[in-house]
Amino acid sequence: MGDFTTLFSVNPSSGVPIYRQLIEQVLGLIASGRLRAGDELPSVRQLGAVLSVNFMTISKAWARLEADGVVLHERGRGMVVQAVGGAGPTPQQLRQVRELMDQAVVRGVQCGLSRADLKAVFRASVEECGL
Amino acid sequence: MTEFLIETQGLRKSFGKVEVLRGVDLAIPRGEVTGLLGTNGAGKSTLIRCLLGLLRPTGGTASLLGCTSWELADAEKSRLGYVAQEVQLFASFRVRDMVGYTAAFYSRWDANLVRELLERWELPESKSCGVLSAGERQKLGIVLALGHRPELLILDEPAASLDPQARRLFLESVLQLAADGERTILFSTHITSDIERAASHLAILQGGVVRLHSDLDGLKDRVKRLRITGGGGRLKAEDVPGVLKWSEQGEVVQVTTDRYSPDLPQRLHEQRGVEVLVEDLNLEDVFLAFH
Repeated sequence: MGDFTTLFSVNPSSGVPIYRQLIEQVLGLIASGRLRAGDELPSVRQLGAVLSVNFMTISKAWARLEADGVVLHERGRGMVVQAVGGAGPTPQQLRQVRELMDQAVVRGVQCGLSRADLKAVFRASVEECGL
Repeated sequence: MTEFLIETQGLRKSFGKVEVLRGVDLAIPRGEVTGLLGTNGAGKSTLIRCLLGLLRPTGGTASLLGCTSWELADAEKSRLGYVAQEVQLFASFRVRDMVGYTAAFYSRWDANLVRELLERWELPESKSCGVLSAGERQKLGIVLALGHRPELLILDEPAASLDPQARRLFLESVLQLAADGERTILFSTHITSDIERAASHLAILQGGVVRLHSDLDGLKDRVKRLRITGGGGRLKAEDVPGVLKWSEQGEVVQVTTDRYSPDLPQRLHEQRGVEVLVEDLNLEDVFLAFH
């Protein structure tokens, strides 16, 4: 069983709360396949000590992930990554995408793009993604 | 009922004609790690000294561990750890003697923890306290305050003279102490990133009162800077709740709010036809927004 402690890093001086940074990192690691179903997240104490971060912050992140069904607390093992394929995006992930999209749209409007221009940019972006 | 290990109500303290604390209301429950921020002269040290019973309040109340601060008994003091801004040591004592002297005041003293901390913090036990640098004095002060694993730890700018490496060691020690979720810690500092790492809560002292006391994550979710464009000047200050700062430059309005909610940009867009860009703020930005 691997030790995944070194996969995490936080920037305390970012405007994003540390627990959210950790949640996003776990979701990213799962999406990229570096964390797979059955893998164990580092314990709260272990990760808190390595990152020098308040332990409650870590347990909050893990609790949110558990509430979203991403991990499950297994007795004697800790937080275990669940199979996530095919589950579709969570409302939270959708919200994140929406926020990023909103920012892009605002930027476009600031640059003077029309509705049609924006749609063209969006289509091009999706095409290049190979969806 | 919540048990508050630190509690003040309408706490006032004057020095002559100068009123430093003007009605401080602060209640900190067990298990909270609170960073105390304030500009120079905001009254952080005065508040801490009133809490510890080292200064007598001019008005209002201050209590620690459920006991009036000015009347703290030995029983409460033995559950308490304190690191002053200027750590008091006996110049003729060696580090080892200073540890022994302090340990004698406590029935529960973790000698192993202290030895380990002295080693990790590179404080030779044979060194004379009189020749310690400012940083070394502060390190020793922190070690001495942790030795009895206090239930309540209060630190007045503990990191002021520490180099970055020692600061990290200090944070680790505080986090280890707080790990069981039962210890309550209050520390004043100017280093916002230390609060972001170690604290669960933040209190801002401003103009002699507590301007803000909040959990950190909630605060970062609530305080945002908005860059608002378009709408042809229809946007008014009343449209945005909780405005802390408002500035206009040409077509762009920049607003800092402490009552942000995720639906706000869409609402403003629908009501006023404006486009809103939301920026996250770190603790330093948040602190500045409140001043």
